[in-house]
Amino acid sequence: MAVPVSAVQRRPRRRRQLFPYALVAPALVVLAFMLGYPLVRLGVLSVQRFGLEQQFGAPPDWVGLEHYRTILTDDYFWDVLWRTLAFCFVNVALTIVLGLLVALLLQMLGRKMRLAVSIALMLAWAMPPLSATIVWQWMFDAQYGLVNWLLTTLGIGDYQGHSWLSTPLSFFSVATIIVVWMGIPFVAFTLYAGLTQVPRELVEAASIDGAGPWDRFRAITLPIIKPVLTIVTALSILWDFRVFTQIYVLQQAGGISRDTNLLGVYAYRVAIGETRFDLGAAIAVVMVLISLLLTFVYLRQMARQEELA
Amino acid sequence: MKLKSMAALGLAGALALGACGGDDDDSSSGDDTTATTAAQAAATEAPSEEAATLRLWLNGEDIPDEVVQSAIAEFETAHPGVTVEFERQQWDGIVERLTTALSSDDSPDVVELGNTQAQTFEAAGALVDLSAHKDAMGGDELVQSLVESGTYDGTFYAAPLYGGARIVVYRKDLFEQAGLEIPTTIDEFIQAGVALKEANASTPNFSGIYFPGRNWHATLSFIWENGGDIAVQEGDEWVGELSSPESVAGLEQVQQIMTEANGAPPDSDDANDYIAFCNGEVGMLLGPGWKAGQIAAECPEMEANIGAFALPGTEPGTTAPVFLGGSNIGVSANSDHPDLAIELVKVITGESFQTELAGLGLLPVRTSLLDLVGGDEPKDAQAAAAQNSRFVPSSENWAAVEGANILQDMGVAIAQGADVAAEAQAAEEAILGHLNG
Amino acid sequence: MNTVLVEPAPLRGPTDRARAAIEAAALGRRRRRHRAVLVNGAGVLLLFVFGFPVYWMVLTSFRRSVDIQSVDPSLLPIPGTLDNYRSVFDRDFFFTALRNSLIVTLVTVALALAIGFLAAVAVSRYRFRGRTSFIISVLVLQLVPAEALIISLFKVLDGWSLINTILGLTLTYLVFVLPFTIWTLRGFIANVPRELEEAALVDGASRLTAFRRVTLPLVAPGLVATGVFAFILAWNEFIFALVIMNRPQNQTLPVWLQAFNDGARGTDWGGVMAGSTLIAIPVVIFFLIVQRRIVAGLTAGAVKG
Repeated sequence: MAVPVSAVQRRPRRRRQLFPYALVAPALVVLAFMLGYPLVRLGVLSVQRFGLEQQFGAPPDWVGLEHYRTILTDDYFWDVLWRTLAFCFVNVALTIVLGLLVALLLQMLGRKMRLAVSIALMLAWAMPPLSATIVWQWMFDAQYGLVNWLLTTLGIGDYQGHSWLSTPLSFFSVATIIVVWMGIPFVAFTLYAGLTQVPRELVEAASIDGAGPWDRFRAITLPIIKPVLTIVTALSILWDFRVFTQIYVLQQAGGISRDTNLLGVYAYRVAIGETRFDLGAAIAVVMVLISLLLTFVYLRQMARQEELA
Repeated sequence: MKLKSMAALGLAGALALGACGGDDDDSSSGDDTTATTAAQAAATEAPSEEAATLRLWLNGEDIPDEVVQSAIAEFETAHPGVTVEFERQQWDGIVERLTTALSSDDSPDVVELGNTQAQTFEAAGALVDLSAHKDAMGGDELVQSLVESGTYDGTFYAAPLYGGARIVVYRKDLFEQAGLEIPTTIDEFIQAGVALKEANASTPNFSGIYFPGRNWHATLSFIWENGGDIAVQEGDEWVGELSSPESVAGLEQVQQIMTEANGAPPDSDDANDYIAFCNGEVGMLLGPGWKAGQIAAECPEMEANIGAFALPGTEPGTTAPVFLGGSNIGVSANSDHPDLAIELVKVITGESFQTELAGLGLLPVRTSLLDLVGGDEPKDAQAAAAQNSRFVPSSENWAAVEGANILQDMGVAIAQGADVAAEAQAAEEAILGHLNG
Repeated sequence: MNTVLVEPAPLRGPTDRARAAIEAAALGRRRRRHRAVLVNGAGVLLLFVFGFPVYWMVLTSFRRSVDIQSVDPSLLPIPGTLDNYRSVFDRDFFFTALRNSLIVTLVTVALALAIGFLAAVAVSRYRFRGRTSFIISVLVLQLVPAEALIISLFKVLDGWSLINTILGLTLTYLVFVLPFTIWTLRGFIANVPRELEEAALVDGASRLTAFRRVTLPLVAPGLVATGVFAFILAWNEFIFALVIMNRPQNQTLPVWLQAFNDGARGTDWGGVMAGSTLIAIPVVIFFLIVQRRIVAGLTAGAVKG
């Protein structure tokens, strides 16, 4: 790396202008070939008739926007979409609020306790999503699960053999527990780091001036961590909107797939399970557009920041 | 200068990485010794072959390594210079792998396909036409329903590999305690299940008949026995039969079992039934032929109490039709050595390999070998059940029906006490949407 | 950060203020003890909520299968067994899968940091045509659901004969971590005052020395944070590994683990939990090593200037 950097100083102006392009070139090449091209293909697939036959070499027919029409006029798609948005909203709200509370708590804890809690959070974060989902599913198992045993033993009711995944509401409650549990560590750590940037003197001064905890939080802390909060919210929206592993694994364990499909899983089932790569692609494109809408505020803020920089 | 050397370093790194992942390719293509042996062999023997490596995919744990290796040894002796790489695959995720791998340049040569998935790949042109070799692979001797799943549009693409018929596995001691005899009709079967559940009410989770909602393979038996079906083909169209009075009558029997004799969760499948059996929570269960062996392996102390029989029909002395599970085996259209691969398929469908399968409790695909299946209760039961076996609608779109979990969802709803006719109607519409789509 | 939004308190005399402070301190001591109990109680609750499922996984991995699937679960591994771990080590290809996972993960992390860093330097230190569109596209690329790209990405890799190669899988993971990496590092580099670097240069240091002495230490937390992100993604990823590495000797650990979860024959819970525990250990170790830096790293990038 030393060579191009020091060389630049002595090179004519034109070379110097090319230098930043050389820096982004590797990233650009990788992203363009490995992500850009498949993305374009995804778009193309969505306007073709493309099933398993085409995957094995048959020439695809162009069908224009037919698949989009099929999806958008399908009541089931809209069911899944609203369900996904509701799930996303509840999970993001819970993750952010609880994550913020955990971050605030981390700040208040003593050094040893903080380390212990951090390690527990890290364990949860480090666990492979597949394993984490399996463990949770296992705890909620109808016959041999810990939760049912506990509820029955504590005399809360006869939960022996109770299936937590059999009704959609109960299914999504279990899914929410898993998704939020796995989402909190990242949010909490990030917000905690944001909190460390709040000047202590400021908070103390406000406290002496008689401001209550809530007022202090709202007036001092919140504005300072707002950029971080925006970012973790945007990322959580993206992740929870297209949640896949947790739902897919739970569906294999129980419940009625049709009533518990969310968009990410639905697109996958259509594309792979039913080998309708074209319809699956169209659903994915719609998902990208909706994510754009959902995170529009965040994207605009970022873009503006860029203009100013 | 320095830049150049850096680039060279990077390239070397990339090469090293490539080698790490694909070192087996290198040994197969660049191995001089095998090439020379092959050349010598070609000079001395009649069948002349180049050095080649075949990739063989078999799925799941049904066929143990030793049996596969002995078949490979047989093949390799007959074809000097050819190496077979056996790659065991998992059933979970196999559709993803077949969809991608078969279409790639680095395709496996010989692949196993579940019999309900096979036609999807045949229709897509993923496999080599085996029609000319059908006779050498068993011909008219082959079990008909597996030939059907291996055939698309009149062309034979995938040879039958093995079959499996569903049987009833039961607890002898519990039958004795409850004073029950082996049921001779399907009604007696249901009554026995209800009676067992009542007799063992003190055992938590107890099932007279273990019948979770997703066990759609077992559900099919009741639909068929009552004269119903999923769908039938009339011309180019599939016509729904699932909502017919006959099918609904069968589904009502299933609902009765699920609500009165079953203790399994309504929304689970039958994969872990052997654990429940070992825990003493099961009187009877409907499972594949190898289920009894799986139970005995998990809890040997239970072995003496394991019995089996074929699901009886409506009339005494008959058996109910059962779903014939199993696999087909085909040659990838992207294989570099299709002729060799076809020879390998011939070995696997050949008599010695199939005889070994019979010993494992799987159904061999040659009817002449079916008599070999037997010797203990589960094997006898399977042989009896196999006499009256049937298959799902024979369509390249059937895999999509399974992919969408339609029958599983219907079963769960029925187990939860939903209206049978309405659920059958809804499932039928969804199924026809795929079959005629 | 210098815009403080506290409204100025009404002016009071200096003595008032001191008295208020003393009162507050006395009141505070009592409250503080109260609060300490509450805070630590909440801490213990958190420990339990996040630690227990992990404990349950490890516990299950040491139990016999008859005890795992029993109606009365016990909270201790008695009677325990090492059979599950034995079956993990005995199962074919465990060590090759471990090796594959380690190589893919480490190469992904190294490449992501190197390529991401260069791009981040470009966008935060230089103004060039197309810069804004580059940044916006990097952002938007994060919106694409990965599962939807399997078929297309496989075709790309197949065209380059990269199926069943470590390089192919690494490139795949790279595209999913690069956007995050570039984005985060960009914030860090922007935070390093240019004057600092220039001062070092004036002192006669070469560009490289200036970079190593001044820039790198300041950017290090960002490298750690993005490194962790890339590590977790590559170490745990399942679906792409499933289709790209389709030979048993090429599979990575998460795909290898799937063999314990055979659809038709049921799940070997003890094996799955033992495997999961083993898979989690390297991540935990990695975490503990870089633990101090993660927290600092995560935000600094996001909060610019």
